[in-house]
This record gives sequence, C-alpha cells and structure tokens, in this order.
Amino acid sequence: MRTAFTSLLLAVCAAWPALAEPCTGAEAQLAQVAKALTVNALDIAENMLRTLIASYPDCPEIVLHQARLAQAKGNIGEATELYYRYTDKDPDDSRGLAYFGRFFLEQRDYMRADALSSAAADKNPDDPAALALRGQILLMKGQSPEGQNLLEKAIKLEPNDPEAQFQLGTIYDKAKAAAQAVEHFRKAATLNPLDVRAWDYLALNLELVGDLDGTEQAYQKGLQVNQAGRYHDAFLDYNYGRFLAKRNDLTRSKRHLDRAVESAPRLRAVWYERAKLDMRMQNYQQARADAEKAAACTQTGGVIDLQIYSLLSQVYARLGDTALAQKYTDLTRETPPPVRGEQR
Amino acid sequence: MTPRKLFAVALVVALAAPLRTLWGSDAGRIQFENRQENSGISFVLDNGTLPDKPMIDGIPGGVALLDYDNDGYLDIFFTNGATLPGLAKEGDKFSNRLYHNNHDGTFTDVTDRAGLRGEGYSVGAAAADYDNDGRTDLYITGFDRNFLYHNNGDGTFADVTVKAGVTGVSSAGKKLWGISAAWLDYDNDGKLDLFVANYLDWSFATSRVCGSPGKRLSCSPTFYKGEPNILYHNNGNGTFTDVSEITGISRNIGKGMGVAIADYNDDGWMDIFVANDNDRNFLFKNRGGKAFDEVGVESFVAYTDSGLPVSSMGVDFRDWNNDGKPSLIVTALGGEVYPLFRNEGNGFFSYESYKAGIGFRSLKMSGWGAGIQDFDNDGYKDLFTANSHVSENADLDGQQHYRQANAVFRNMHDGTFQDVSGDAGPGMQIRAAHRGCAFGDLNNDGKIDVVVSAIGSPAELLYNTSTGGNHWILIKTVGVKSNRDGIGTRIKVITASGLVQYNHVTTTLRQLEVTRVRMIHGSTLDWARIRLSEKST
Repeated sequence: MRTAFTSLLLAVCAAWPALAEPCTGAEAQLAQVAKALTVNALDIAENMLRTLIASYPDCPEIVLHQARLAQAKGNIGEATELYYRYTDKDPDDSRGLAYFGRFFLEQRDYMRADALSSAAADKNPDDPAALALRGQILLMKGQSPEGQNLLEKAIKLEPNDPEAQFQLGTIYDKAKAAAQAVEHFRKAATLNPLDVRAWDYLALNLELVGDLDGTEQAYQKGLQVNQAGRYHDAFLDYNYGRFLAKRNDLTRSKRHLDRAVESAPRLRAVWYERAKLDMRMQNYQQARADAEKAAACTQTGGVIDLQIYSLLSQVYARLGDTALAQKYTDLTRETPPPVRGEQR
Repeated sequence: MTPRKLFAVALVVALAAPLRTLWGSDAGRIQFENRQENSGISFVLDNGTLPDKPMIDGIPGGVALLDYDNDGYLDIFFTNGATLPGLAKEGDKFSNRLYHNNHDGTFTDVTDRAGLRGEGYSVGAAAADYDNDGRTDLYITGFDRNFLYHNNGDGTFADVTVKAGVTGVSSAGKKLWGISAAWLDYDNDGKLDLFVANYLDWSFATSRVCGSPGKRLSCSPTFYKGEPNILYHNNGNGTFTDVSEITGISRNIGKGMGVAIADYNDDGWMDIFVANDNDRNFLFKNRGGKAFDEVGVESFVAYTDSGLPVSSMGVDFRDWNNDGKPSLIVTALGGEVYPLFRNEGNGFFSYESYKAGIGFRSLKMSGWGAGIQDFDNDGYKDLFTANSHVSENADLDGQQHYRQANAVFRNMHDGTFQDVSGDAGPGMQIRAAHRGCAFGDLNNDGKIDVVVSAIGSPAELLYNTSTGGNHWILIKTVGVKSNRDGIGTRIKVITASGLVQYNHVTTTLRQLEVTRVRMIHGSTLDWARIRLSEKST
C-alpha cells in the first residue's frame, strides 16, 4: 500500500512539475527576464514578471528579479525588502548574494557589498555574476590582478554581462591599454546601450587609438541616452567638450563644457577645462572667472594645483595684471610637477 | 652692448633651377628614399644595453652633418654608445664614426684617420667653427666624457677638451650627463660660445630597475634629480670660461634633453630653449649678452596647455608660418602629444598642437630628433620627427611600439600640418629604434635630406626625392667680424610673389641632431637680406 502511494506521488509529480519545483517550466522566461534586466529593458522585464507571478506564485527566483527590477527603478526600500526575502528563502544561491551585493555596492555600502560578494564567490566559484561582482570589489580594494582574473573568468562563463565587460574595460583603461579597453567597452555598450559610462569610456579610448570618427559616434550615442537616473554620466559633456576643442570645434565645445559646468559645478576639472577654452577663444575675462572658480573647488577631478597656477598665470598675463600674473608664475615655478609612473 | 638692426647681403648666394612666378605652383609630394644600402655607410648605433635596461641605454644616437674638409659637400658624424656598465668603446661596434662624402652618393669611413673614435658613452654632437679658422670643429656630449675636437684642416681632429676647459664638469667638480649641445654667440662678440644641456643625476649605483623580470622598462626620470646646464663663454684664445653661474643658467635645475637656439623676441640676442624630460621646459631669455632670465612659465612654453610636463626630448626653434617669429616643436613619448608652441611675437607662445593638426597624429608617436624644414620647397617649412619609444620592451604591453617609422608633417600654409608620412615613400616606412637626426643637402640638389641614427639598425640616409620644380636658394653665411659660421644670422627672403620667408642659422644640436647652415626656399628670389648683430659683417 505504502509503495503504491509513493509510486502514485512520483507519477503525479512527473506529470505536474510545478508540484516538484515551484519554478519548473518557467526557466526560459526567467532567463529572458534576467537578460532584460541586465540590459536595462525594464518594461519588458516588468511585463514578463507580471505574467510569471500569476503562473508561478511560489517561484523564489521571481522574487530575486523583482528585487532587481525595483533596484533598477530606484525603489530602494522595496528592493531591500525583496532581496532579504529572496536570500532568506534561498541563502545558498550565489546569484542572489551577488545581486544583493551589487545592490549594496550601488548604495555605496561597501562593507556589505564586500561581504556578500565574498560569500557569493565562495558558494559557487563558477557563477559568473558572483565572480564579476567579486572581481569588481577586489579591483576597488586595490587587488587588481586578482580582480582582473575573476572578471576574465566571469566573462568567459558569461560573455554577455555588460557590467563585467565594463569593469574589465576599466582595468585596461587604467593600464592605458586603449585597444583592449575599446574591445570591452564596445561590448558593454552594445549589450547595454543605456549605459552612458560605457559609451563615454569607449569614446575616450577610441580617441587614444586614433579612431576619431568612432569617438564622435560613441559620444553621440552616449549623449542620446544620457538622462538623469541610474546611468547618468556627469562627465560625458566634459569629455566630449574636450574632444571637440581638440578638433577645433570651439563653438560646440563651449556648449558641452557649459553643460558640464552646470551638471558638476563643484568639480574643478570642468571649470578648468572651460577656462582653457575661454583662453583659446580669447575671452580672457570669462577665463579668469572660470579659472578662479576652478581654483576654489575642492573636488579636483584630477586637476592639480600646478595646472591651476599655470593657467591663472596665463590668464592674468593676458589681462595685463602683472602682479597677479607674477604671483601665479611664481607658484607655478615653486610647485613641482607630479611624479608619474615608475616606468615608461 | 646694444644691438643694432643691421642688414647685409649674403656673402655667398647661389640660385638654381628655373624661375617660377608663383610660389608653390609646382610643389609636389614630399618623398624620401633611403639610400643607405649602397652608400658605404654601415653604421649601427649600439647602446650596449643590459637585461635590466638602465636608463642610459635609451639615450644615445647623435648625428651631425658637417663639411669638415670644406669640399662643399656635407659629411656625416655619428655618436655611439659603449659597454655597460664599463663605459668602454671596446672594438669597432662602439666607435663614433665620421663618414666623408665622396660626392657620388657614397661615403668613406674616415674615423680612424680623423681620430674621432671617441671614448666613453657618447650621446650628442654639435659642429661649428668655434675658433673662426674656417674649419668646422666638433663637440661631443656624453655620460662620462665630453669632447671638443679641433679640426686641424688636414682631415684630422685634435682633442682639445681639457685645454679648452669644456669637459662638461660642473663648478662643483661633477661630470654632468651631457645630452645636447649648441653653439651660439650669446654676447655677440663674434666668437661662438657653447651651451650644454645636461640630464639627470643618475649613476649605476643609484640606478633603479623598472618593469618585471623579462620585461624591463626604462625608469621614469621623475625618480632622479635633474642637473644644471652649462654655458661656456669663448675667450677667443682656444679656451672657454664656464659662465653658468654668473649668467644665471645654472640656477635652473632641469632634466635637459634637447636644446634649440633662436632670437625669439627679435632683440638681436640669441635665446635658448631647453626641452626637459618630465619637467618644465626652460626658455632662457638673453639679457643683453650678460645674463639670462628663465621665462618658460611666463612665455607659456614650460608646460603644455594642460599645465603639465611631457617627456620633452627633441626640439627645433624656427619660423614655420613665415611671420618672422621662431616657434617651437618638441617631441615626446607615446600617449603624450608633440607640443607645438607658436610664437605670438608678444613674449607669449600659444600651444597649438591640436589646432595645427599634429595632436591626434602624434599621440601614438614617440619622438627624438625633430626638425622644422621646408622639404618640398614650397616656401613653408614642414616638420620631421625621428620616432621610437624609449623602452626596448615597450611592445610587451601591446600599447607602445619600440620600433616606429619616422614622421613628416607637411605645412598646409594655413597654420596647420598634414601627416604625409604614409605617402612619403618606403624610406619613411622603416620601423626602427630611431634616435638622432640631422638635416642638410647631402647631394647639393637643393632639397633637404635627413640622416637618422637607429639603435640596432643601420643609420638611414633619407634622400629627399620630393617632386616639384620650385627653385631654391642656398645661402652660406661667412662672418668676418661675427663668428665665421654666421651662426645667429637671420635671413629674410622675399620672392616675386610677395611670399616672405625667414630662417636663421644654427648648428644647434637639438636632442642629438645638428642643422647645417643652409637655407633652401621655394620660388623666385626677389631679394634677400641678412641681419647680423652689432659688430657683425
């Protein structure tokens, strides 16, 4: 009797998979949702999730994707609650830990992001999401070779992860390996065309490899999608403005540097760059105003005091203010140039 | 001594080729042909490199063109390295070389007869007639030894370094690492003085090792202190006095690589530009032949427009846009841009690398020697750079290239240049570890040729085979009261079309190179005038 009952139960389970696993049958759709979320196609992901919830109300993976959707939409409280719910349900799922960790990373909660990324990678060393996040965290912690190794492994397992591609691109960008950086930023931008950072970095590195038309196109694509929100890039106008100045398109350069100043007014670099452009356009009064603004900024954006002094000495010399020109000339002389890399 | 603006006719004026009424009417493509193979010149620059790639091994390779026997044809001198760390010119492969021009495209190695094999680790060379005896002498800079060779007039040279007092040793008794040198008459007394640009306070004892095992790279100069430059005043009796301190030259500590001379502010006194490696460049403004004010920052040539230094190496200082004001080109390393500083004529220079169209093109280049010369005789000077990265293992990271082709940028007559290297013939496609270059008309055909040295490869003899029939004028200046080479002479040529061209005579060794005292211009000559300084005739 007992044997007969067991056989019957197995038969029923085989005929109705949902009884055995709450997500069985939804795998393909869940994969599509995951992909849509990865490339920021939120409407598609939301519609699919709505359908899936109706059919698979107990599927925990749906909760995970709901959390990701809420995160992408900027609903932080909802996302937090959903991530906790998912990880409570399935604490051993490396993907859940990895996505939750990436959520914390976006919230700049680096300690929790670090802990979760470590746990995720430990749970499943072959999970590309876990490896990509851990690689990124290690990079941030200064463990570049280890981080690069994990990111490369992640991309091998999942070449369509735009974030992993982007992070790997940044490694090559920092190493001034522009050709390799282009390869990864191009993939990142292609996989997620809404990622303005990827277009921006792609443009910067295309310029370094001498592809000026490609640079222009990348900036244009970035500008098309550069809106407030998750992927907003305050540096896009700055970088594009600089590029246009190099191409001697000063009018358009001015337009973009004006926008850069508006979007990042506390950043020294944007005022500095616009002051340089003012100088080229022989608008010395405006150059003075912008250069002085740059000097007053505490967020340098990579522009050091020496650069400011040198610029101000030129501005005041052009304006005929010999006393201030001399002051900044002296400061320029007294300030040693930065120590660059150990080798070349 | 107040300079007067004197004008005099050239002592020797030669015209060649049929006259044309419009400048540039028959300007053709810039073309170079490497004729080294059948020239009899087998010189291969040997830097004596070691597995750890000490930074000295990237630096050698000076070239000088000089007519040492006054036969009317330019001869070629190459400096060479030495064993490391022994600094010995063991065997032929480290010998400096002098090649005599046979007037038929071939050269004969006359080094031994001339007594110019040299000693130690040689770097640069500057040729000029310092004693006004009508024969071109030779100054060699080096890491451990500098040499002044007096031309005896019989095909031999005598080492007069110690007697002349130009050993390259500082007043503190330290031999400084000499890179470049330039002859100039800074006080307009009719005798050529000597400026020596010095590099780093480096020695094998303090040498760092950079890169990883198997991929050693040249260390950044930022790890080492710079050195003062030296200015020697010519006493007129075969000796010189170190006037570095009293003229203010040695007060400025830099990392000198290239040096170039011009009267940038048109006051009749020659000024000095020093290209410093990863440090601010110097512009020494001549204060009436008595002292120099370093005005690089005030003149906006200390840094690029980013307010930061680049790996400044080679330099030339000439008027490229025919406005009568000498401007600057400086070479740098890949990832940087070759700075182009246009002289505004008001004491300021403007950084115009991108505006002039060489910014993006030079971004991937690493350059050593540089020259501003009119290669196609269209009346506008073009740019030439001898290219190679400093690190032999640069290719291992895939971004830089040790061996690079040289570059030539054609002057488009509107303040911009076009990179025409790819169309300038096979000679310009040779990828090598180029270092020094020198400019002159080797075969007296009216076109400026280029000689380039290269580490580990035969030197290149890039004969200018540019098409186009514009004619040219060659002016050889011979000073009587001024220095006999007429160095510092400013020449203005106005052609029938009204095109005005300027040049000035130098034997500046600009980061391992020498420019010969020849001027070639396109188009018909209407008149020419030569301005000399006071007391000059």
